[in-house]
Amino acid sequence: MHRLIGLETEYGLYVEGRGVADLLIDAMSVVRQCPFPAVRSWDYRLEDPRRDMRGFRVEQLQVDPQDVRIDQEHPVPFSEREVRSDHVLGNGARLYNDHAHPEYATPECRRLLDLIAHDKAGERIVLTCAQRLQHSIGCRVALYKNNTDYHGSSYGCHESYLLRRDIPFEQLTANMLPFLVTRMLYAGAGKVGVEGEPNPRVPLQLSQRADFYMDIMNVETLYRRPIFNTRDEPHAPMRHYRRLHVICGDANMSEYATALKVGTTALVLDLTESGWQTDIVLHDPVRAAQRLSRDPDLKWLVETDLGTLSAIDIQRAYCKAACEHFAGRDPETDWVLQEWQTVLDTLETDPDLLADRLDWVAKRKLLSLYVESEGLSWDHPALFALDLEYHNIDPHEGLYYALLEQGQMQRLVSDEAIEQAMHNPPMDTRAAVRGLCVQRFAEQIETLNWERIILRHADQTVRLDLSRLVEQDLRPLSRRLTAAPDVTTFVRMVKEFG
Amino acid sequence: MTIWQAEERLRRPIPQDPITKPGGDGDGPTRPDVKRPDTNELLKRMRRIDPEQARRYRQRSGE
Repeated sequence: MHRLIGLETEYGLYVEGRGVADLLIDAMSVVRQCPFPAVRSWDYRLEDPRRDMRGFRVEQLQVDPQDVRIDQEHPVPFSEREVRSDHVLGNGARLYNDHAHPEYATPECRRLLDLIAHDKAGERIVLTCAQRLQHSIGCRVALYKNNTDYHGSSYGCHESYLLRRDIPFEQLTANMLPFLVTRMLYAGAGKVGVEGEPNPRVPLQLSQRADFYMDIMNVETLYRRPIFNTRDEPHAPMRHYRRLHVICGDANMSEYATALKVGTTALVLDLTESGWQTDIVLHDPVRAAQRLSRDPDLKWLVETDLGTLSAIDIQRAYCKAACEHFAGRDPETDWVLQEWQTVLDTLETDPDLLADRLDWVAKRKLLSLYVESEGLSWDHPALFALDLEYHNIDPHEGLYYALLEQGQMQRLVSDEAIEQAMHNPPMDTRAAVRGLCVQRFAEQIETLNWERIILRHADQTVRLDLSRLVEQDLRPLSRRLTAAPDVTTFVRMVKEFG
Repeated sequence: MTIWQAEERLRRPIPQDPITKPGGDGDGPTRPDVKRPDTNELLKRMRRIDPEQARRYRQRSGE
């Protein structure tokens, strides 16, 4: 992959004996247990989440009325900044408390394997924090990498893809909507039942997130969530770049599912940048997504302007175009193309064969085993608990990790690579500048964000602009920065690069 | 627009080398040993889970 890509995961949090009104403080407590070297600051001045790609800013973002009520009834004695508890880590990642969820945003990556290693590194970092809190307070603390509490609240796993700004917005949305709706065939994490239906007719649906789609596109993230998010915050020079902020996806436990989800999405953006355009237009994308996710017969039919199509065939149209344009480009692209085709073919013939790769299939197989063994129906409360525990990121407790331990899930990265990613940035992106600066000169950093680092050095304020460092392979710079003898040299090297 | 029909589906590009990993250097995916899962062990682990855990589990809306 040649573009900058990142994943941000909000974790579900359970602290024994505590309630929903305590979660803001509890998430803050988890993050503040971070034992890894970090700069505890974030520069919010460049953020503008109300800016819409369609050329306007909304007056305010919508929030869940239930959360408004909780905030009014249970005010916390901390400032917004204290609640957020920002940490920027030596691997270039960001760890903080986002709306009562510990959130880990990976550093910007260019290679899929780096992204997977950093996503898994994030799990281990937040788990370390939770375990320290558990030890400190003497109550069970659990973290879940999922997207629902089964009571109407959702939280996200977002993907960010940097892309050219000169792609017409209409072309981007036309290409992305049918793709994003149908990629849940392999990117869905699986969910027991349907949100808000106590006696669901759907045993297990493909997606955790589909129940929460309320709009085709908008700038919202907390309420009335769309399939296509129009937030216009590129974290790079706005004249040249957009950031596709994908909020409709599930948090995947499977390394393979994450890689396929991100790899295929990046290829569809490559296609879009090449001028390719699909002529598939979904009828009512929100309804199509929910119907697709909940289809108990796994027929996965979608209404389009071209008639009723199989979601598998819609994905095949994208895959075919990507093969025609990009086959042979590089090993990573070929891996994605090959796996994409294999998965689509297997979904058509025997989805169960994908239980070692796709979360929803693994979960379905696991829960079916329990249902048959215990003689339960699929709406038994225990099934929801098992669904939840599939996403528990503690390897000693989580059911995904039980499968992994038995060698039943494919892996893409080694434990060593994950351990390495916990402490080191990817060296080919601007995250290397951020991470190495945190590792070596944390004392001098006043504040920082994705685009810049502000340092205090020799009684002067020095701004390091990272926004322009988005295209180049930064490995040559990173090697030099690693050896920079002092902050003055470090700053000079960054400023002189490129 | 060409929707892929079964008989005209694209043949996979023939990789020059067996592709087992995205990216090049570094570790690639490894297929698990094709042993049958130890279903007894999995069931034991599932039975240990508190069936009420999801009922108690409440979150605030995130993004």
